[in-house]
Amino acid sequence: MKLKVENIIVKIGSRDVLKNVTFEVKEGELVALLGPNGSGKSTMLRTIFGVLRPVKGVVMLDGREIESVEAAAKSFGYLPQDTPLTNLRVLDVVLLGRTPYMSGLRRPDREDYRVARRALKEVGLKDFETRSLSELSGGERQKVMLARVFAQQPKIMLLDEPTAHLDISAQIEIMEIIRRKVDEGKAAIVAIHDINLASSFATQILMIKDGKIAYAGRAEEVITEENIRDVFDADVIVRRYGRGVYIVPKLKPIGGKKRVHVICGGGSGQKILYALAEAGFRVSAGVLNALDSDWEVATELGEIVDEPPFSQVSNSAHEKNLEMVRESDAVILANLSVGWGNFRNLLAAKRAAELGKLIVIDETPFNQRNFAGEEAEEIYREALKRAAVVTKAEEEVINAIRKLLGR
Amino acid sequence: MKITTVISILLIFNLVAILLSLGAGSSGYDHIFKIISGSADDNVRTIVFEFRLPAMLLAMIVGASLSASGCAMQALFRNPLAEPYILGVASGASVGAALAVTLKIGEIHTRIAFAFFFALFTAYLVYLIGTSSRFRDQTYAILLAGVAIASFFSGVTSILIYFSSQSMHEVVFWIMGSFSNPAWEKVYISLPIAIAGIAYLLITSWNLNALLLGDEHAVAVGLNVERYRKSLIAVVALLTSATVAVSGVIGFVGIIVPHTMRLLVGEEHQKLLPSTILLSTAFMPLIGLISRISTSGNLPVGAITAMLGGPFFLYLLLRRSV
Repeated sequence: MKLKVENIIVKIGSRDVLKNVTFEVKEGELVALLGPNGSGKSTMLRTIFGVLRPVKGVVMLDGREIESVEAAAKSFGYLPQDTPLTNLRVLDVVLLGRTPYMSGLRRPDREDYRVARRALKEVGLKDFETRSLSELSGGERQKVMLARVFAQQPKIMLLDEPTAHLDISAQIEIMEIIRRKVDEGKAAIVAIHDINLASSFATQILMIKDGKIAYAGRAEEVITEENIRDVFDADVIVRRYGRGVYIVPKLKPIGGKKRVHVICGGGSGQKILYALAEAGFRVSAGVLNALDSDWEVATELGEIVDEPPFSQVSNSAHEKNLEMVRESDAVILANLSVGWGNFRNLLAAKRAAELGKLIVIDETPFNQRNFAGEEAEEIYREALKRAAVVTKAEEEVINAIRKLLGR
Repeated sequence: MKITTVISILLIFNLVAILLSLGAGSSGYDHIFKIISGSADDNVRTIVFEFRLPAMLLAMIVGASLSASGCAMQALFRNPLAEPYILGVASGASVGAALAVTLKIGEIHTRIAFAFFFALFTAYLVYLIGTSSRFRDQTYAILLAGVAIASFFSGVTSILIYFSSQSMHEVVFWIMGSFSNPAWEKVYISLPIAIAGIAYLLITSWNLNALLLGDEHAVAVGLNVERYRKSLIAVVALLTSATVAVSGVIGFVGIIVPHTMRLLVGEEHQKLLPSTILLSTAFMPLIGLISRISTSGNLPVGAITAMLGGPFFLYLLLRRSV
């Protein structure tokens, strides 16, 4: 099975809504259409279904154009954007999906009931048959509409924002249901606004801008900071996890060229480092043992002073750490545990305190995370006393820096 | 409730309505049995066959046409308050009838013809304006065009009534609706249209379900919405125009009856439409009966249905708010 969209131009009024769009979809593919409002996603779906006719180009399924709405409804399962509100019973709604297969008086027969009930089972609403559509939740209602699409036994599903207005669990459930159907040898083209949802589920992403396909490919190929800026005019940070990618918003930078050094270890600095980097600061960290979880984050985000795993802070590393403290505009002492190995990091913090640029994250009482005896206790107390800002929670760190830097 | 139960109860209800319509009155119920056994005198025969039977049939035709049309309009407009007169046929027919009376042209048949064609013309006008390409939501535009044209035509009717001072009573009474004589001719005129129109609605009732989902969803399941809407409006225009022409403006039936049945059998039109029709064929003759026996003359039927319609609307309103 192959859907071919070839060079289509679609006009609404006098405006070209789609301009020379070409792409192909085969079975087993879940294609996500990403693009800002008004970029032509819905128009694309409506044109493929045949509600709109292209002024140029063709839409072909298995080498043939589909002529009538009746025929299209057998091959395409089109789900419009707005979910209806009616008092029809759930089963009656799903049975409507059998309309293209009914002739004459259009009364559902045994086969129609069987297919409709199976569709309801596939979306997990087996026991909802006699409920009225209007009394269901938004997520349930959307699942009923998906069951209606399934009852049409389409080759390709054309879904217009099936997850809009739904809570996160319903969004995931809906996408899972769609993916399961696609895995049975169908295909789906899904217009969607949630980039993360799209990159988690789609086998292919088409990014649409002004009625043209701007970028096409697998999520990790097309979801890049540059592409998203180009298509959506939005600044985001793209992160990778496993085989996938996800985006987070980039906050308006307040950092400028300011530099912040973080004294951390054992995971106490991760969130702080990310928060600082997102806020636009240049970051450094030290002294850290290689392969420590903070070390991994710090190597990704900025400069670092490190030591091999499980070894003590050496003289040279300590010197380098002190140098970074000197060069930074602010130094953060994270909520780290102190042992004989990283005892010298406390000395570096004390130095920062003397320079008037230390921020202490004092979350866990120090005696609970001190394994270096009385001496460490005393240095910490000293650092705390002379620190510029002390905060109880690491979430407060950006505010603390604002306070310190006088913004 | 199971649909077979509902239908059975409605059939019994119909039987009772028939007996009451034919029997109630001065001569008592035994004359029905006399007619069946062939022992009734001519006087009784005349009353039953010339007056009561055609009036009852007319009431059934009018009830069935209006309630089935109402049902269809409520699905088409996806609005529980939609009614058959939304297309402006009531005001159109009124202008036609008032014109015939004012100009003193012809007798009862001319009036019926005038009312019928004016009603059809109005519906066509409303459709034409409503589906002009400048409107994006045509269903909505038809609704508004109907309101606009109806209010214009009721103004025209008022002026016509004003100028027809002599026969004013006649026009006003016509507008208020009745099943009075000559009833047989009215039956002959409206019955074929009613049968054809209602049959069309029953045959295509599956499509009405699809319309409830909204135009885009209806298209998505393979319904040619534009074509179906066109024929639906044409059929409803014919049905209601024929009804108004023979009985005057009888309001609210198209809302009360479908809604009552909706509460009992739900939205699905394979059940809703037949049961609505059956309820109206019992309901309307009973209203006719009330009109006939309540006073020495005939109380206007439209006035009685309107008086029932008001409280019913309030009931719907209160039911919704809880």
